[in-house]
Amino acid sequence: MIRSLFEWVDVMPMSIAWRESLNGYPLLLTAHVVSMGLVAGVIIFWDMRLAGMALKRVPVSKIQATMFPWMTLGLAINAGTGLAMVFSQPMRYFPNFYFWIKFFFMMFAAVNALYFHFTINNTVSEWEHDAVTPFKARMAGYASLALWAGIIVTGRMIAYSGLVPAWWLALELG
Amino acid sequence: MSMLPFFEWMGGLRLSAFFLESVWPTPIVQNIHLIAVAVFAGSVLLVDLRMLGRGLTDTPLADLARTVEPWLIGSFVVLVLSGIPQMTSTALKQYYSPFFWWKMQAVLIGVIFTVTVRRRMAMRTEAELGPVFPKVVGVVSIALWTSVTIGARLIGLMG
Repeated sequence: MIRSLFEWVDVMPMSIAWRESLNGYPLLLTAHVVSMGLVAGVIIFWDMRLAGMALKRVPVSKIQATMFPWMTLGLAINAGTGLAMVFSQPMRYFPNFYFWIKFFFMMFAAVNALYFHFTINNTVSEWEHDAVTPFKARMAGYASLALWAGIIVTGRMIAYSGLVPAWWLALELG
Repeated sequence: MSMLPFFEWMGGLRLSAFFLESVWPTPIVQNIHLIAVAVFAGSVLLVDLRMLGRGLTDTPLADLARTVEPWLIGSFVVLVLSGIPQMTSTALKQYYSPFFWWKMQAVLIGVIFTVTVRRRMAMRTEAELGPVFPKVVGVVSIALWTSVTIGARLIGLMG
């Protein structure tokens, strides 16, 4: 079912046009990396604040309130360019091991952020000035740092489509 | 004076041969480099946005600059160390890539700008700076490091 979705996109005229564009992919990938700096840069410091590694004197809610729009801006460009790359070369990404691992890391990062937001963050006003945040907040910070490191690494590794477990290649998805 | 002999020497190093002949070292240092890019970008942007009057405006500029400085310097050191084997193992490709020279010139200007003008400004009391000067410095800094990233990415894509 997922395969047929990717195959359906693959033959769309717009997908073919973007795929055959000479500068489309370099432009998209470059914008993807630049916007990654904004998204990941903000998220890393936000997470490091939660984990007690950086910005210890900055109240947690201040980081959230002032940096969330910047993170969202970066995420919008990042997701837009990422989706455009997948849209233009669906059958390059479909059989790619790291692409799917990255996808799951992104899902986990979203779940982690939402879980944090709707649980631990409810009491943020009680601990936001503490250099050492509550255990659960620290864990959410560490989990997010690990997941984003994973997202960056698996994103870079998409280029290494052959450096994957043998069983994956045996699936012959490509 | 041509720098070609220097690049030929780098390409001939045992370090370069090791990276070319083995499979995993290159992607590993590329990944370390990219994570360091994210940390460096965060360290730069928090302060640059603050200079533009955005982001963490309740924190004094000098305090913010001082807290992120270890991350700024630390990630830059990691960037240089993880960049060296990538440069030497593909030395001739780099030498002939216009984007490599674009990137390195932007890095050089970026470093000089960051340790002189930007640092001196960030460490002073804001009242002394006026409203315009910090904004100019913030925009220049973002522009310089963005052009480094663009140049870097294009070395691999367009040679």
